[in-house]
Amino acid sequence: MKWKNLILAFTLPLLVGFISGGKSSAPSDTPVALVKKIVKDVKYKKENVSDWEAAKTGLPLKDGEEVKTGSKSLALILFTDGSGLLRVRENAILHIYGQKENQRMNKNTFVQKGLVGFDVKKQAENEEFKFTTPTVVASIRGTGGFLDYSDDSTFTMSLDSGDVALDFTGVGGGGGMLHSRHTVTINSRGQFYFRQQNDNDRNLSNSTRQTEVKKIKINTDSGDLEINYYGSENR
Amino acid sequence: MRKEPEVFINHTKFFLVLFFLFGVGVQYNYAQISNYVSSVKVGDAKEKTPLAISADLFSSENISQIDIAFKTFGKNEYLKREMLLTGNTASVTIPADEIQPPYLEYYIILSLKDGTSQTYPLGVDHGVAPIQIPISAVSEKDKQILVLSPDAGEMLTQHDMLISISFVKAPDQVDISKTKIYLNDQDVSSFAVNAGDLLVISGDNFPSNLGFGSLLLKVEVYDKSGNIYHSISRSFQLVTEELAAQAGAQWKYYGSLRGESRNENYNSASTWYNNLGADFTGTVDQWRLNGSVYLTSEEKSNRQPYNRYSATVQNGDWLDLKFGDAFPRFPSLIMDGKRVRGFSGALNFGAFNIQTSFGETVRNVEGELLEKYTAANAPLGSNIISINQLKYPGYQYGKVNMGTYNRNVFVLRPSFGSGENFQFGLTYLHSKDDPGSIEFGARPQENLVFGSDLMFAFDDQNVMFTSQAAFSLVNKDISSGNLSDAQIDSVFGPNSTYSNVDPGTVKKYKDLISKFITVNQYLGPWNPQELSSFAGEAALSLNYFDNTLRTSYIYRGNDYQSFGQSFLRTDVKGINFIDRARFMDNKLFVSIGYESLNDNLQKTKIATTTFETISASVSYFPRTDFPNVTIGYNRYANNNGLVLADTLKNRNAMFAVDDITDRVSLAMSYDFIAGVRHSSSFSFTTSSRTDNSLAKANATFNMSSLNVTSYWTSQLMSLCGIVYSASEISGQPFNYLTITVGGKYRLLENKLQLSASLSPSFGDFERQALELVADYNVLANLNLVFQTRIFRIPGSATNSIIGLTTRLSI
Repeated sequence: MKWKNLILAFTLPLLVGFISGGKSSAPSDTPVALVKKIVKDVKYKKENVSDWEAAKTGLPLKDGEEVKTGSKSLALILFTDGSGLLRVRENAILHIYGQKENQRMNKNTFVQKGLVGFDVKKQAENEEFKFTTPTVVASIRGTGGFLDYSDDSTFTMSLDSGDVALDFTGVGGGGGMLHSRHTVTINSRGQFYFRQQNDNDRNLSNSTRQTEVKKIKINTDSGDLEINYYGSENR
Repeated sequence: MRKEPEVFINHTKFFLVLFFLFGVGVQYNYAQISNYVSSVKVGDAKEKTPLAISADLFSSENISQIDIAFKTFGKNEYLKREMLLTGNTASVTIPADEIQPPYLEYYIILSLKDGTSQTYPLGVDHGVAPIQIPISAVSEKDKQILVLSPDAGEMLTQHDMLISISFVKAPDQVDISKTKIYLNDQDVSSFAVNAGDLLVISGDNFPSNLGFGSLLLKVEVYDKSGNIYHSISRSFQLVTEELAAQAGAQWKYYGSLRGESRNENYNSASTWYNNLGADFTGTVDQWRLNGSVYLTSEEKSNRQPYNRYSATVQNGDWLDLKFGDAFPRFPSLIMDGKRVRGFSGALNFGAFNIQTSFGETVRNVEGELLEKYTAANAPLGSNIISINQLKYPGYQYGKVNMGTYNRNVFVLRPSFGSGENFQFGLTYLHSKDDPGSIEFGARPQENLVFGSDLMFAFDDQNVMFTSQAAFSLVNKDISSGNLSDAQIDSVFGPNSTYSNVDPGTVKKYKDLISKFITVNQYLGPWNPQELSSFAGEAALSLNYFDNTLRTSYIYRGNDYQSFGQSFLRTDVKGINFIDRARFMDNKLFVSIGYESLNDNLQKTKIATTTFETISASVSYFPRTDFPNVTIGYNRYANNNGLVLADTLKNRNAMFAVDDITDRVSLAMSYDFIAGVRHSSSFSFTTSSRTDNSLAKANATFNMSSLNVTSYWTSQLMSLCGIVYSASEISGQPFNYLTITVGGKYRLLENKLQLSASLSPSFGDFERQALELVADYNVLANLNLVFQTRIFRIPGSATNSIIGLTTRLSI
């Protein structure tokens, strides 16, 4: 926890500073993303506001806003430039950043914790799509896979297709390329391991694509009880 | 002052409408008359998108096979594909890589059971112009206005319903607030919430009277002057929570059952047809399973198969296995568009891939013994064959109707590279008739093809090189098997015909080659050093400065043959050059093409014919309220240099080829509002062929068509069309006019859809066609369709088709 807190304490302000400092145009009301689907408990928080509010389908997310999912919950998030889709699994927190310049948009998603499946289209030459965690910055051109930043500060990214350039921001520094059907794991001490996708990786990647609600109907004397839930086997 | 432009625009619009509605009633036409095809439906023709074409038939009686011939802009050669005949509809999907702006030309070839054939439009082989389909280029505006949700075909519940249009990439001239959103023609714009560069309609503020089923979303985007800037449409499904839960299960499946029974009364002969079709698709994770069956009473053992079966297993891009009927695609010189009943599959690992297909391409159909002969009285004739003397004692020969041998094929293509920037492939094809599959037949054949293909690309495929080459061997009669050593000794060596050839060497080569193909005197080619059975092509594409330039070279020897590719034109070589340029912010497209081909590669003809094609086209897709327009010009010149002088003594004169065809075409489409929304299209083609050969088959051809579809209410739609054709082929004029009026009306809360159309033709072609269709949605997943077609040819016959079709979805 110590390492995690330390890294978080340094990285988050740097990231926020980078994003806000880099803005060449005044923040517009252009939404960076949009909530396409919600299962159970999904909340969002505006920039510089402390309270979380319940999110709804169709909610536009602007630069700096945060999304949080509860237990057995899910949020599907679309970027408004059509560049990609995030499947935010249960108990995740992420921050959405984006800058629009002319008709281009640079996107950066800071994953504070949790599992996020992604499908990102090929970006134009002068556009960026990045994932940032306290230990890694991943620059994406066009790829699909998942990213997990767990409670013990372990970062895992696995790709079903495409390539990703990685910059390790942890104490060891460095970087590398992650290729299609490969997985990288970086522990809290900055040690990284590349490997080919194994069955677990593939199953986890497939499970992030499961976005449908399961239902149980129980007939009781006082009427039917319907329980909607997001099955744990999908995680 | 500010009013003046509006007045001008309104006047322009008014005159355009008048022009479309009345101005073309004087002449023109589009002459799609046919005794077999009633109409052709063409899908959304967009660049690099597969294009579905289906032909509705008046009657499938007398039709044995239907093929489509098509070619892209600037090409001389038509590519051909078999159309799938189901009931009285023939359908095909043209692959995405053949769909290129500005247009695609096609005609349909109907092979009849009596051995003759007919084209649609009639007379393409005599100079009638083929049909042109304008292909719209991928618009930059498609990248500017984005429908984030729903996805095409997506299944949504009322709770999850979300329509979201993003203008993040739209230019400043777009006025978001003027955007109109329609769902099944119902204006739902007032439900949309504007959030910055987004328009959103979500579940809570959705209209509740939409009903379940397929919904068509149409978005009209306007600029700040109020002119329409862009239009997007997309279909999706609104379903119940229960259906969505079922669809959302780990195992998703859906399918349909379709049964049809119809009676055709054609030239006084009454025939019943019964068809049953079933499709099933199931998905789990990355796996996709698909099954399809089509059974018809037209299946007969004395014809090629009409029934179709297939089962497919796919996993992402890397696994694709198909059992049953398939149309596998290998390098086009070797196999493309041929039906194989057996197994076809591919494993794609990126660095290494393997693709194979094997099974039956032709079913055996037994012949018929008409007459028996002894050796002494057997006449000469191509249909006189030796017969089994044990079965027919005393007779050695018989006169027969030839049967068809069972033919099987095996194709294997290993390849290296994913195909994004590099791929190299090697292809092997072996195909052989089974001589024992029928009793009455002659000359079973065998074919062997080796080929290779290479592609590499740079700079995000802006520079791309593709090539393929193949070499074929064909044995035109394998009934006698391989040459025996004794036969070789009798032909080669001392005291024989070829005394200077060592028979041992011949035997050595025979033993080697016979492992792959039967070796006897019918094996060819005999002149491989002249590249007679070699085929190759190479193309270079460059995509820079808003120009797409492609130049290619082809070579196909006169003996090149692959049993996997029935439609390849051989004995031809030459170059092709096409350039497509985009101007005015992708509003104006200019295309030019030049092709020069010649035949007689192995000097097997009296003279060499040069086939020259010059093509030019201008397309204008304005963003303002004005029609899309495509104007095309083609010049086809064929000449083999033989002169007609002194035809009585000059025997070569009868082989002279010297003709030029000039063709100009115009196609326009325009959506406008005059009280209600109308969608109109107009086309005009004129061509003139000057034939300086002995045949003097000069031809002129003018045709035009106008169609207006009007959407009066969400329940009522009408269609008016007029076609006029004026042609003269070899001095014979042929003029006619066809008028079509029809409409569709929905009632009983949209559960019943009635449609009717009347289409009389006047002039040199007289016919009246009437079609009535009632489509009743009995249950959410059950439809009954009753269809009646009557077509009367004055002074000849009145024919009818009455059919009932049931569709059940699961």
